[in-house]
Amino acid sequence: MTRRASRPAIIASIVGKDFREFSRDGLYIFLSILGLVFFAATYYLVPDSVDETLAIGVHQSDMDEVFDQFESGSDGLELVQYASAEELAAAVTDGDEVMVGIAFPDRFVDSAAAGEQPTVTVYTDAAVPPEISGAVTSMVREIAYALTGDGLPVTEPAEESIVLGTDRAGDQASLRDLMLPMLVFFVLMIETFALSSLIASEILNRTVTAVLVTPARVSDFLTAKTIYGTILTGGQGVLLLAVLQAFTLANVGILLATVLLGAVLFTGIGMITGAAGKDFFSTLFYNMLFVLPLMIPAFSVLFPGTAAAWVQAMPSYPIIDTLNEAISYGAGWSDVAGSLVVALAWAVAVYVVGLLVLRRKVRTL
Amino acid sequence: MNLSRIWVILRKDLALGPRSPIFLYAVALPVVMTAVFQFAFGSLFEPAPRMAIVDDGDSQITAEVSEMEGIELTVLDGADDLRRGVEANDYDVGLVLPAGFDDAVRSGEQPPLEMYVGGESLASNRMILSVTTIDLVRQVEGTTPPIDVELVESGDAGLPISVRLVPVLVMFALFVAGAFVPASSMVDEKIRGTFTAILVTPARITEVLTAKATLGVLLAFAMSLATLLLNDAVGSNWPHLLAVILIGAVFLALLGLVIGSLAKDGAMLFTIVKSSGILIFGPVIFYLFPEWPEWIARLFPTYWVIDPIWRVSVLGEGLGDVWVSLAVAVGIGALLMLLVVRLSRRMLAHTTAAS
Repeated sequence: MTRRASRPAIIASIVGKDFREFSRDGLYIFLSILGLVFFAATYYLVPDSVDETLAIGVHQSDMDEVFDQFESGSDGLELVQYASAEELAAAVTDGDEVMVGIAFPDRFVDSAAAGEQPTVTVYTDAAVPPEISGAVTSMVREIAYALTGDGLPVTEPAEESIVLGTDRAGDQASLRDLMLPMLVFFVLMIETFALSSLIASEILNRTVTAVLVTPARVSDFLTAKTIYGTILTGGQGVLLLAVLQAFTLANVGILLATVLLGAVLFTGIGMITGAAGKDFFSTLFYNMLFVLPLMIPAFSVLFPGTAAAWVQAMPSYPIIDTLNEAISYGAGWSDVAGSLVVALAWAVAVYVVGLLVLRRKVRTL
Repeated sequence: MNLSRIWVILRKDLALGPRSPIFLYAVALPVVMTAVFQFAFGSLFEPAPRMAIVDDGDSQITAEVSEMEGIELTVLDGADDLRRGVEANDYDVGLVLPAGFDDAVRSGEQPPLEMYVGGESLASNRMILSVTTIDLVRQVEGTTPPIDVELVESGDAGLPISVRLVPVLVMFALFVAGAFVPASSMVDEKIRGTFTAILVTPARITEVLTAKATLGVLLAFAMSLATLLLNDAVGSNWPHLLAVILIGAVFLALLGLVIGSLAKDGAMLFTIVKSSGILIFGPVIFYLFPEWPEWIARLFPTYWVIDPIWRVSVLGEGLGDVWVSLAVAVGIGALLMLLVVRLSRRMLAHTTAAS
């Protein structure tokens, strides 16, 4: 007496077989966990703050009031006072506390006001970029102009009208924040290699043919591979986000949706490359052909400003962009809706192509 | 161990190798990585303040900024483009100079300064660009500053980022050519079953592995040297440089044999590479950030091969200066060799059992 197995049961048994194979290999499990641990370690190794303050050493004897005003009005400036010019020069040479310093001569205020053309010494470490030493020199001159009552030769605009976009001074996204979407993206991407390798070996070893002589259909096989690939890639991405405490109540839905779309996209690519490869090397070659260009948008988030149009046109861009906006800048559903729609369109398109390519391959076996 | 059999296997790999995409990848990598890292990523570690100017009157300010070191200038055609760019963080600061601006400043009219600051720009960059702009306006005004400024420079300028990227590039070349090529070649042979086929001939497993390692050493040696040449970082001490590169190539080839012996298929190979990536590439990050404590870098095994290459090729030291690092590298290499022997026995047992 035979009992007809349902389609979900067949698919579940194929998925179960893949996961059993995965879980039986202790080394594979160990290395997968180790990989996540190292990704997490990389994340914590990267600086979690942005130093946007310029520390300047100052020696002066009669300008406390001037510098109190100056420091309170300048966000990007930290002034460190030194008792003598020699101490200041030594501190700059040492380079631990300050790398640039200004030594005003005694009676500087009176001397400048009297038009005596005093000399101010600016000490810089040779490693200080030219724009910083230039700006400090300019700042010294401007202080002198202010002391002599020489007003600006232009009318300054109101401060509130000149800052464009959200003012993130003091609240910049750190390299660590920017790195997290990239790490999640890499986890998704690397699993493509593993998935395509698995598909290629099932085709080469004719495991597919063996599966298809059972009541399983081609569609069951493809569905099972989709589920396995999506869980394998997406699961590790979600785990990494959880380990690195990236989830908040506001972004959890966005991040899960984005990782799911990324997992589907890379599963589609894994299907294409796994079906196209005739052996290990050709599968690897096709993977690199697809995956290396898709890495470009992942790096683009590290750079300030708008990504080039051709970078934005790549299938991986909306995924990395959404991850970045949600994690680094706290974007909500309405902010990332456009990116998510584009990501969905790319994921569906690539997955459908992958499905068709793999189905064609399986049917020709 | 029979040298002629090793040569036959090596010759086969050398003949078939160029058809493999991994070979292509290993050979193209130094050029591609040098281009990508030197031209694209250099600015990531040493970002310069970015300024955009719309200049409708051929202002002296634009000419001065374009000649300044350390400020990235973009000249735009319209104020709308400038405001969009500043808001999108394409520029830190934007300056709109209408026609007649310089003349208005010189005649004391105090024209409005139309300046925009990007919300996402760093506070330090805002300060640098603002104060520089004001100073340039003063120059246009033509007044003599009420003070003299004397600039006193001290210390060492340090190495530029283009040089500090060299260890990253050499490590990529060493890893892909020295470790990944032999490892993937072994995995490919396991999948195809040709590994078993070779072992039914008089060839012994040690000879097969020696041939694979030699392939990795030759390729890693050539590609590391090519990378150093491309980055103009070969120094003047050639014999010492070749010696440290050779030790590095052997080290990575042994690592490749370990990976290739452990990985039974492609999925495992990538999992090993993924999980060991930070162990291999960890130390090179410390060259990018010299202020990070060096003792952490010393915990990574590959530090002991990349550091001698760095010191001989870039810092101009000799074997006498780097012998401690080399001794540690050789010691770790000996441990890797023992591991390869152990794994090869296990692999042979599996292969025999499977056939």
